Amino acid sequence: MEVNNTFSPVDIATSGLRAHSKQIEVISSNVANARTTDVGNGKPYRRLEATFKTEDDGIEGVSLDKILTDMSDFPRIFDPSNPKADEYGYVSMPNVNVPIEMMNLTIATRAYQANAAILKRYQQMVETTLELLR
Amino acid sequence: MINLNGNVTGTPNAMKSVWEAGSLMPKADNANARKLDFDNTIKAIEKYVSRVDELQQSSDMSIKDLLSSKNEDIISVVSAAAKADMSFKLLVGVRNKLIEAYKQTMNMPL
Repeated sequence: MEVNNTFSPVDIATSGLRAHSKQIEVISSNVANARTTDVGNGKPYRRLEATFKTEDDGIEGVSLDKILTDMSDFPRIFDPSNPKADEYGYVSMPNVNVPIEMMNLTIATRAYQANAAILKRYQQMVETTLELLR
Repeated sequence: MINLNGNVTGTPNAMKSVWEAGSLMPKADNANARKLDFDNTIKAIEKYVSRVDELQQSSDMSIKDLLSSKNEDIISVVSAAAKADMSFKLLVGVRNKLIEAYKQTMNMPL
């Protein structure tokens, strides 16, 4: 019995867990910086988005491909008392939409749970198979 | 004779050779071949034990690294523990089966 073949569902589920925990990290960065008006260069924070790719062709796990920046326009809010305001009294805010980030967080959490469920169920399947030995 | 090889395609040939021999009972001149097979079984089990041991040790190491905050990746610990657990359960299952077979053989009235 080849050990590697037996464990491939475990490795695939593990790669899914890892990829989705990375996505949750990206989402938490977006939420934490939802009101960051200066990231060091005078510009507001730009929203990040994680993309996935398969590790190889065929039946393989998933890995993080790229962390892309969302290049959509910054929303401008009227706040003349803000020191960052321009001459018309408008401040550029990050292009993070917190309710949308919450939806993405729910999606990522469910995907993480699904991978954990596969890991657990596969262990149960192996145990069921080993019951046949008794 | 215990065959740990999970190669399914090998089975029809073995069945056929038994069929051609005209009897399902093993013959006396097969004793040498059988001895070699049991030898192979023991060797396969030895290999499997060392692989299970490797998995157990890597699981142990990852738990130690996690607890000594050398490594903060809990997912790799879970994966290593799952692999070690499953392979150890298979080893225990095979061992129980072998010991059962041995006991049955020893209890055979002569």
